[in-house]
Amino acid sequence: MLQAEDHDIAQKLKVLEESNQQLIEKLKTVERERTEYLQNVSHQLVAPLNAIKWHIENINERRIGIERAQKVLKSIYSQATIAVHLAKNFNLMSNLEADHALSQLKEPLRDIDLKRLLINLANDFQPLAWDQEIDIGVSDSRFDSGPSILAMRPLISQVFSNIIENAVKYSNPKTIIVIEGTYKKEDDSFAVRIRNHGIQLPEKHQEDVFARGFRTPESKRKYPAGTGFGLYIAKRIVEIHEGTITARSAEGWTVFEVTLTVKGLQGKARYVSEQDRTPHR
Amino acid sequence: MSQNKTVLLIDDEQAFLEPLADALEYEGYRVLKARTADQALNLLAKEPVSLVTIDIMLDPGEQLGETVDSHSTGLFLCRHIRERYPHIDAFCISVVSDVSTIVQIESLGIRFLRKGETPLRTVLNMLRSRLTGIAYSTDRGRGKR
Repeated sequence: MLQAEDHDIAQKLKVLEESNQQLIEKLKTVERERTEYLQNVSHQLVAPLNAIKWHIENINERRIGIERAQKVLKSIYSQATIAVHLAKNFNLMSNLEADHALSQLKEPLRDIDLKRLLINLANDFQPLAWDQEIDIGVSDSRFDSGPSILAMRPLISQVFSNIIENAVKYSNPKTIIVIEGTYKKEDDSFAVRIRNHGIQLPEKHQEDVFARGFRTPESKRKYPAGTGFGLYIAKRIVEIHEGTITARSAEGWTVFEVTLTVKGLQGKARYVSEQDRTPHR
Repeated sequence: MSQNKTVLLIDDEQAFLEPLADALEYEGYRVLKARTADQALNLLAKEPVSLVTIDIMLDPGEQLGETVDSHSTGLFLCRHIRERYPHIDAFCISVVSDVSTIVQIESLGIRFLRKGETPLRTVLNMLRSRLTGIAYSTDRGRGKR
Protein backbone atom coordinates (compact mmCIF):
# COMPACT_ATOMS: atom_id res chain seq x y z
CA MET A 1 0.00 0.00 0.00
CA LEU A 2 2.71 2.37 1.14
CA GLN A 3 4.82 1.39 -1.86
CA ALA A 4 1.97 2.27 -4.24
CA GLU A 5 1.63 5.70 -2.60
CA ASP A 6 5.37 6.27 -2.86
CA HIS A 7 5.23 5.38 -6.51
CA ASP A 8 2.31 7.78 -7.02
CA ILE A 9 4.19 10.65 -5.31
CA ALA A 10 7.31 9.90 -7.32
CA GLN A 11 5.26 10.06 -10.54
CA LYS A 12 3.72 13.39 -9.51
CA LEU A 13 7.14 14.76 -8.62
CA LYS A 14 8.46 13.70 -12.01
CA VAL A 15 5.60 15.49 -13.79
CA LEU A 16 6.20 18.59 -11.67
CA GLU A 17 9.90 18.50 -12.41
CA GLU A 18 9.25 18.22 -16.13
CA SER A 19 6.81 21.14 -16.15
CA ASN A 20 9.26 23.10 -14.03
CA GLN A 21 11.98 22.41 -16.57
CA GLN A 22 9.68 23.59 -19.40
CA LEU A 23 8.97 26.80 -17.50
CA ILE A 24 12.70 27.39 -17.01
CA GLU A 25 13.25 26.94 -20.76
CA LYS A 26 10.39 29.35 -21.54
CA LEU A 27 11.80 31.92 -19.14
CA LYS A 28 15.22 31.59 -20.74
CA THR A 29 13.68 32.21 -24.18
CA VAL A 30 11.77 35.26 -22.92
CA GLU A 31 14.94 36.56 -21.27
CA ARG A 32 16.92 36.04 -24.48
CA GLU A 33 14.26 37.84 -26.54
CA ARG A 34 14.13 40.68 -24.01
CA THR A 35 17.91 41.12 -24.09
CA GLU A 36 17.91 41.12 -27.89
CA TYR A 37 15.03 43.61 -27.97
CA LEU A 38 16.81 45.97 -25.55
CA GLN A 39 20.04 45.69 -27.54
CA ASN A 40 18.18 46.55 -30.73
CA VAL A 41 16.37 49.45 -29.06
CA SER A 42 19.70 50.74 -27.79
CA HIS A 43 21.28 50.28 -31.22
CA GLN A 44 18.48 52.15 -32.96
CA LEU A 45 18.54 55.09 -30.52
CA VAL A 46 22.31 55.40 -30.22
CA ALA A 47 22.85 55.54 -34.00
CA PRO A 48 21.10 58.91 -34.59
CA LEU A 49 22.39 60.37 -31.31
CA ASN A 50 25.97 59.40 -32.14
CA ALA A 51 25.58 61.04 -35.57
CA ILE A 52 24.29 64.24 -33.97
CA LYS A 53 27.19 64.37 -31.48
CA TRP A 54 29.87 63.77 -34.10
CA HIS A 55 28.37 66.25 -36.59
CA ILE A 56 28.33 68.91 -33.86
CA GLU A 57 31.98 68.12 -33.04
CA ASN A 58 32.90 68.63 -36.69
CA ILE A 59 31.13 72.00 -36.78
CA ASN A 60 32.67 73.08 -33.46
CA GLU A 61 36.16 72.05 -34.48
CA ARG A 62 35.66 73.74 -37.89
CA ARG A 63 36.54 70.55 -39.74
CA ILE A 64 33.87 71.35 -42.32
CA GLY A 65 33.17 74.50 -44.33
CA ILE A 66 30.03 76.64 -44.20
CA GLU A 67 28.42 75.03 -47.24
CA ARG A 68 28.92 71.53 -45.84
CA ALA A 69 27.80 72.70 -42.40
CA GLN A 70 24.44 73.78 -43.86
CA LYS A 71 23.89 70.24 -45.16
CA VAL A 72 25.10 68.73 -41.89
CA LEU A 73 22.60 70.85 -39.93
CA LYS A 74 19.81 69.38 -42.05
CA SER A 75 21.18 65.92 -41.31
CA ILE A 76 21.28 66.71 -37.56
CA TYR A 77 17.65 67.82 -37.71
CA SER A 78 16.71 64.66 -39.57
CA GLN A 79 18.56 62.44 -37.06
CA ALA A 80 16.83 64.20 -34.17
CA THR A 81 13.46 63.61 -35.89
CA ILE A 82 14.29 59.92 -36.19
CA ALA A 83 15.32 59.72 -32.53
CA VAL A 84 12.00 61.30 -31.46
CA HIS A 85 10.08 58.94 -33.76
CA LEU A 86 11.86 55.93 -32.25
CA ALA A 87 11.34 57.13 -28.69
CA LYS A 88 7.59 57.49 -29.41
CA ASN A 89 7.52 53.93 -30.75
CA PHE A 90 9.26 52.53 -27.68
CA ASN A 91 6.90 54.45 -25.41
CA LEU A 92 3.90 53.04 -27.30
CA MET A 93 5.45 49.60 -27.20
CA SER A 94 5.99 49.69 -23.46
CA ASN A 95 2.29 50.60 -23.08
CA LEU A 96 1.34 47.67 -25.25
CA GLU A 97 3.71 45.34 -23.42
CA ALA A 98 2.20 46.42 -20.12
CA ASP A 99 -1.07 45.30 -21.69
CA HIS A 100 -2.61 48.73 -21.45
CA ALA A 101 -5.25 49.24 -24.10
CA LEU A 102 -4.27 52.06 -26.44
CA SER A 103 -7.55 53.72 -25.47
CA GLN A 104 -5.95 54.35 -22.08
CA LEU A 105 -3.59 56.77 -23.77
CA LYS A 106 -6.54 59.19 -23.67
CA GLU A 107 -5.54 61.15 -26.73
CA PRO A 108 -8.22 63.60 -27.82
CA LEU A 109 -9.81 63.09 -31.23
CA ARG A 110 -8.94 65.72 -33.80
CA ASP A 111 -9.78 66.45 -37.40
CA ILE A 112 -6.83 65.27 -39.46
CA ASP A 113 -6.14 66.41 -43.01
CA LEU A 114 -4.44 63.19 -44.15
CA LYS A 115 -2.76 64.74 -47.18
CA ARG A 116 -1.16 67.49 -45.13
CA LEU A 117 -0.09 64.99 -42.44
CA LEU A 118 1.53 62.75 -45.06
CA ILE A 119 3.32 65.64 -46.76
CA ASN A 120 4.81 66.62 -43.38
CA LEU A 121 5.89 63.04 -42.68
CA ALA A 122 7.37 62.67 -46.17
CA ASN A 123 9.41 65.83 -45.49
CA ASP A 124 10.56 64.44 -42.12
CA PHE A 125 11.86 61.22 -43.66
CA GLN A 126 13.19 62.69 -46.93
CA PRO A 127 16.70 63.47 -45.59
CA LEU A 128 17.04 59.85 -44.40
CA ALA A 129 15.83 58.64 -47.81
CA TRP A 130 18.31 60.86 -49.67
CA ASP A 131 21.13 58.79 -48.21
CA GLN A 132 20.05 56.11 -50.69
CA GLU A 133 18.88 58.60 -53.35
CA ILE A 134 15.26 57.65 -52.66
CA ASP A 135 12.52 60.23 -53.26
CA ILE A 136 9.34 60.30 -51.19
CA GLY A 137 6.39 61.95 -52.90
CA VAL A 138 2.73 62.49 -52.05
CA SER A 139 1.01 62.17 -55.42
CA ASP A 140 -0.94 65.31 -56.26
CA SER A 141 -3.07 63.70 -58.94
CA ARG A 142 -3.64 60.47 -57.01
CA PHE A 143 -4.56 61.92 -53.64
CA ASP A 144 -8.27 62.77 -53.41
CA SER A 145 -9.25 65.94 -51.65
CA GLY A 146 -11.73 64.30 -49.30
CA PRO A 147 -12.91 65.30 -45.83
CA SER A 148 -10.67 65.25 -42.75
CA ILE A 149 -10.83 62.18 -40.55
CA LEU A 150 -11.54 62.23 -36.84
CA ALA A 151 -8.82 60.32 -35.01
CA MET A 152 -6.03 60.43 -32.43
CA ARG A 153 -3.51 62.50 -34.30
CA PRO A 154 -0.20 61.48 -32.65
CA LEU A 155 -1.12 57.82 -33.02
CA ILE A 156 -2.23 58.08 -36.67
CA SER A 157 0.96 60.03 -37.35
CA GLN A 158 2.93 57.15 -35.82
CA VAL A 159 1.13 54.63 -38.05
CA PHE A 160 2.20 56.41 -41.23
CA SER A 161 5.68 57.28 -40.01
CA ASN A 162 6.27 53.60 -39.17
CA ILE A 163 5.17 52.56 -42.67
CA ILE A 164 7.20 55.28 -44.37
CA GLU A 165 10.29 54.48 -42.27
CA ASN A 166 9.87 50.84 -43.19
CA ALA A 167 9.55 51.74 -46.88
CA VAL A 168 12.75 53.84 -46.72
CA LYS A 169 14.70 51.03 -45.02
CA TYR A 170 13.71 48.33 -47.47
CA SER A 171 13.61 50.28 -50.76
CA ASN A 172 16.24 49.82 -53.42
CA PRO A 173 18.53 52.82 -53.89
CA LYS A 174 17.50 55.40 -56.52
CA THR A 175 13.81 54.53 -56.35
CA ILE A 176 10.68 56.42 -55.40
CA ILE A 177 8.17 56.02 -52.57
CA VAL A 178 4.73 57.11 -53.74
CA ILE A 179 1.89 58.02 -51.37
CA GLU A 180 -1.67 58.01 -52.72
CA GLY A 181 -5.09 58.54 -51.12
CA THR A 182 -8.58 57.53 -52.20
CA TYR A 183 -11.78 58.80 -50.64
CA LYS A 184 -14.55 56.18 -50.80
CA LYS A 185 -17.87 57.95 -50.62
CA GLU A 186 -19.92 54.76 -50.30
CA ASP A 187 -18.53 53.92 -46.87
CA ASP A 188 -17.20 57.37 -46.00
CA SER A 189 -13.64 56.13 -45.62
CA PHE A 190 -10.15 57.14 -46.72
CA ALA A 191 -7.63 54.64 -48.06
CA VAL A 192 -3.96 55.64 -48.04
CA ARG A 193 -1.48 53.61 -50.07
CA ILE A 194 2.29 53.78 -49.59
CA ARG A 195 4.18 52.14 -52.46
CA ASN A 196 7.87 51.40 -52.49
CA HIS A 197 10.21 49.49 -54.75
CA GLY A 198 12.60 47.07 -53.05
CA ILE A 199 12.65 43.95 -50.87
CA GLN A 200 9.56 41.88 -51.66
CA LEU A 201 7.16 40.63 -49.04
CA PRO A 202 6.43 36.94 -49.76
CA GLU A 203 2.71 36.14 -49.93
CA LYS A 204 2.98 33.77 -46.96
CA HIS A 205 4.21 36.64 -44.74
CA GLN A 206 1.60 39.24 -45.70
CA GLU A 207 -0.18 38.73 -42.36
CA ASP A 208 2.90 37.82 -40.29
CA VAL A 209 4.53 41.14 -41.04
CA PHE A 210 2.11 42.78 -38.57
CA ALA A 211 2.79 40.24 -35.82
CA ARG A 212 4.73 41.37 -32.73
CA GLY A 213 8.46 41.06 -33.36
CA PHE A 214 8.09 39.27 -36.71
CA ARG A 215 10.73 39.99 -39.36
CA THR A 216 11.28 38.28 -42.70
CA PRO A 217 14.70 36.63 -43.16
CA GLU A 218 15.54 39.19 -45.83
CA SER A 219 14.69 42.17 -43.63
CA LYS A 220 16.82 40.64 -40.83
CA ARG A 221 19.74 40.40 -43.22
CA LYS A 222 19.43 43.93 -44.55
CA TYR A 223 18.72 45.62 -41.22
CA PRO A 224 19.80 43.41 -38.29
CA ALA A 225 18.99 45.94 -35.55
CA GLY A 226 15.25 46.08 -36.32
CA THR A 227 12.81 45.16 -33.56
CA GLY A 228 9.85 44.07 -35.72
CA PHE A 229 7.54 46.31 -33.70
CA GLY A 230 6.86 49.22 -36.07
CA LEU A 231 4.22 47.48 -38.18
CA TYR A 232 2.75 45.71 -35.15
CA ILE A 233 2.23 49.09 -33.47
CA ALA A 234 0.74 50.44 -36.73
CA LYS A 235 -1.76 47.59 -36.89
CA ARG A 236 -2.78 47.95 -33.23
CA ILE A 237 -3.40 51.68 -33.67
CA VAL A 238 -5.37 51.17 -36.90
CA GLU A 239 -7.49 48.51 -35.21
CA ILE A 240 -8.21 50.83 -32.28
CA HIS A 241 -9.50 53.28 -34.91
CA GLU A 242 -11.60 50.48 -36.39
CA GLY A 243 -9.73 50.67 -39.67
CA THR A 244 -7.79 48.10 -41.68
CA ILE A 245 -4.16 47.71 -42.74
CA THR A 246 -2.81 45.36 -45.43
CA ALA A 247 0.48 44.70 -47.20
CA ARG A 248 1.24 42.99 -50.48
CA SER A 249 4.06 42.78 -53.01
CA ALA A 250 3.95 42.39 -56.78
CA GLU A 251 6.37 43.10 -59.63
CA GLY A 252 9.00 44.70 -57.45
CA TRP A 253 6.55 46.99 -55.64
CA THR A 254 5.30 46.63 -52.07
CA VAL A 255 2.08 48.42 -51.14
CA PHE A 256 0.82 49.14 -47.63
CA GLU A 257 -2.80 50.25 -47.53
CA VAL A 258 -4.43 51.83 -44.48
CA THR A 259 -8.17 52.46 -44.54
CA LEU A 260 -9.74 54.69 -41.91
CA THR A 261 -13.34 55.77 -41.60
CA VAL A 262 -13.91 59.50 -41.75
CA LYS A 263 -16.09 59.62 -38.64
CA GLY A 264 -13.57 57.39 -36.90
CA LEU A 265 -14.28 57.08 -33.21
CA GLN A 266 -16.75 59.94 -32.98
CA GLY A 267 -19.43 59.28 -30.41
CA LYS A 268 -17.68 56.23 -28.98
CA ALA A 269 -18.02 56.62 -25.23
CA ARG A 270 -14.40 56.05 -24.21
CA TYR A 271 -12.96 58.66 -26.56
CA VAL A 272 -13.41 62.39 -26.28
CA SER A 273 -13.35 64.55 -29.38
CA GLU A 274 -12.36 68.20 -29.28
CA GLN A 275 -15.95 69.08 -30.23
CA ASP A 276 -17.28 67.03 -27.32
CA ARG A 277 -15.10 68.93 -24.90
CA THR A 278 -17.49 71.81 -24.32
CA PRO A 279 -16.42 73.52 -21.11
CA HIS A 280 -18.94 73.45 -18.28
CA ARG A 281 -20.43 76.79 -17.44
CA MET B 1 51.16 64.00 -43.03
CA SER B 2 48.39 61.70 -44.13
CA GLN B 3 50.24 60.89 -47.40
CA ASN B 4 46.77 60.22 -48.80
CA LYS B 5 46.47 56.94 -46.96
CA THR B 6 43.19 55.13 -47.54
CA VAL B 7 40.72 54.41 -44.75
CA LEU B 8 37.79 52.06 -45.28
CA LEU B 9 34.71 52.66 -43.13
CA ILE B 10 32.36 49.66 -42.89
CA ASP B 11 28.93 50.47 -41.48
CA ASP B 12 25.37 50.22 -42.76
CA GLU B 13 24.35 53.53 -41.17
CA GLN B 14 24.97 56.48 -43.45
CA ALA B 15 24.49 58.66 -40.36
CA PHE B 16 27.58 57.06 -38.80
CA LEU B 17 29.71 57.16 -41.95
CA GLU B 18 29.16 60.84 -42.78
CA PRO B 19 30.71 62.66 -39.78
CA LEU B 20 33.65 60.25 -39.53
CA ALA B 21 34.32 60.60 -43.28
CA ASP B 22 34.11 64.42 -43.00
CA ALA B 23 36.69 64.41 -40.19
CA LEU B 24 39.10 62.01 -41.92
CA GLU B 25 38.88 63.86 -45.23
CA TYR B 26 39.62 67.10 -43.37
CA GLU B 27 42.83 65.42 -42.15
CA GLY B 28 43.71 64.55 -45.75
CA TYR B 29 42.90 60.85 -45.80
CA ARG B 30 41.18 59.15 -48.70
CA VAL B 31 37.95 57.63 -47.41
CA LEU B 32 36.06 54.65 -48.82
CA LYS B 33 32.70 53.52 -47.49
CA ALA B 34 31.10 50.08 -47.49
CA ARG B 35 27.55 49.47 -46.29
CA THR B 36 27.59 45.68 -46.59
CA ALA B 37 30.24 43.01 -45.95
CA ASP B 38 30.18 42.13 -49.68
CA GLN B 39 31.07 45.70 -50.61
CA ALA B 40 33.81 45.75 -47.95
CA LEU B 41 35.44 42.55 -49.27
CA ASN B 42 35.37 43.89 -52.85
CA LEU B 43 37.03 47.15 -51.80
CA LEU B 44 39.64 45.35 -49.68
CA ALA B 45 40.54 43.18 -52.67
CA LYS B 46 41.21 46.06 -55.04
CA GLU B 47 42.07 49.17 -53.00
CA PRO B 48 45.28 49.97 -51.07
CA VAL B 49 43.54 50.19 -47.67
CA SER B 50 45.70 51.12 -44.65
CA LEU B 51 43.03 51.05 -41.95
CA VAL B 52 39.45 49.85 -41.53
CA THR B 53 36.69 50.61 -39.04
CA ILE B 54 34.13 47.83 -38.64
CA ASP B 55 30.58 47.78 -37.30
CA ILE B 56 29.27 44.51 -35.76
CA MET B 57 25.60 44.34 -36.76
CA LEU B 58 25.71 44.73 -40.49
CA ASP B 59 24.08 43.54 -43.69
CA PRO B 60 26.38 40.75 -45.01
CA GLY B 61 25.16 41.44 -48.55
CA GLU B 62 23.74 39.04 -51.10
CA GLN B 63 26.85 36.90 -51.63
CA LEU B 64 27.51 36.30 -47.91
CA GLY B 65 23.89 36.47 -46.76
CA GLU B 66 23.47 32.70 -46.74
CA THR B 67 26.48 31.97 -44.57
CA VAL B 68 26.97 34.97 -42.27
CA ASP B 69 24.57 35.98 -39.46
CA SER B 70 23.83 39.71 -39.76
CA HIS B 71 24.09 40.07 -35.96
CA SER B 72 27.79 39.20 -36.08
CA THR B 73 28.87 40.20 -39.60
CA GLY B 74 31.49 42.48 -38.06
CA LEU B 75 33.05 39.59 -36.16
CA PHE B 76 33.30 37.66 -39.42
CA LEU B 77 34.99 40.68 -41.05
CA CYS B 78 37.42 41.11 -38.14
CA ARG B 79 38.54 37.47 -38.50
CA HIS B 80 38.70 37.70 -42.28
CA ILE B 81 40.80 40.87 -42.20
CA ARG B 82 43.18 39.49 -39.56
CA GLU B 83 43.64 36.34 -41.64
CA ARG B 84 43.85 37.78 -45.16
CA TYR B 85 45.11 41.32 -44.54
CA PRO B 86 47.23 41.19 -41.36
CA HIS B 87 49.04 44.39 -42.43
CA ILE B 88 45.81 46.45 -42.27
CA ASP B 89 45.06 48.19 -38.98
CA ALA B 90 41.51 47.67 -37.76
CA PHE B 91 39.16 49.22 -35.22
CA CYS B 92 35.72 48.01 -34.31
CA ILE B 93 33.18 50.78 -33.63
CA SER B 94 29.78 49.51 -32.57
CA VAL B 95 26.84 49.79 -30.18
CA VAL B 96 27.06 46.07 -29.39
CA SER B 97 27.57 45.60 -25.67
CA ASP B 98 27.79 41.82 -25.57
CA VAL B 99 30.95 41.12 -23.59
CA SER B 100 31.79 37.81 -25.29
CA THR B 101 31.73 39.49 -28.73
CA ILE B 102 33.98 42.30 -27.49
CA VAL B 103 36.41 39.77 -25.95
CA GLN B 104 36.56 37.82 -29.24
CA ILE B 105 37.29 41.02 -31.20
CA GLU B 106 39.96 42.25 -28.81
CA SER B 107 41.60 38.82 -28.77
CA LEU B 108 42.25 39.38 -32.49
CA GLY B 109 44.20 42.51 -31.53
CA ILE B 110 41.41 44.79 -32.74
CA ARG B 111 40.48 47.69 -30.47
CA PHE B 112 36.76 48.00 -29.66
CA LEU B 113 35.21 51.47 -29.36
CA ARG B 114 31.64 52.06 -28.28
CA LYS B 115 29.39 54.17 -30.48
CA GLY B 116 27.62 56.99 -28.72
CA GLU B 117 30.17 57.11 -25.89
CA THR B 118 33.42 57.72 -27.75
CA PRO B 119 33.96 61.33 -28.83
CA LEU B 120 34.90 61.81 -32.46
CA ARG B 121 38.13 63.50 -31.35
CA THR B 122 39.18 60.35 -29.47
CA VAL B 123 38.40 58.16 -32.48
CA LEU B 124 40.35 60.50 -34.75
CA ASN B 125 43.33 60.58 -32.40
CA MET B 126 43.43 56.78 -32.22
CA LEU B 127 43.09 56.34 -35.97
CA ARG B 128 45.70 59.00 -36.69
CA SER B 129 48.10 57.46 -34.22
CA ARG B 130 47.83 54.07 -35.96
CA LEU B 131 48.14 55.60 -39.42
CA THR B 132 51.18 57.75 -38.60
CA GLY B 133 52.80 55.56 -35.95
CA ILE B 134 52.96 58.61 -33.65
CA ALA B 135 51.27 58.32 -30.25
CA TYR B 136 48.47 60.84 -29.90
CA SER B 137 48.49 63.54 -27.26
CA THR B 138 45.54 63.77 -24.91
CA ASP B 139 43.35 66.85 -24.46
CA ARG B 140 45.15 67.58 -21.20
CA GLY B 141 47.96 69.08 -23.23
CA ARG B 142 45.62 71.69 -24.64
CA GLY B 143 45.56 75.17 -23.19
CA LYS B 144 49.14 75.01 -21.91
CA ARG B 145 50.36 76.81 -24.96
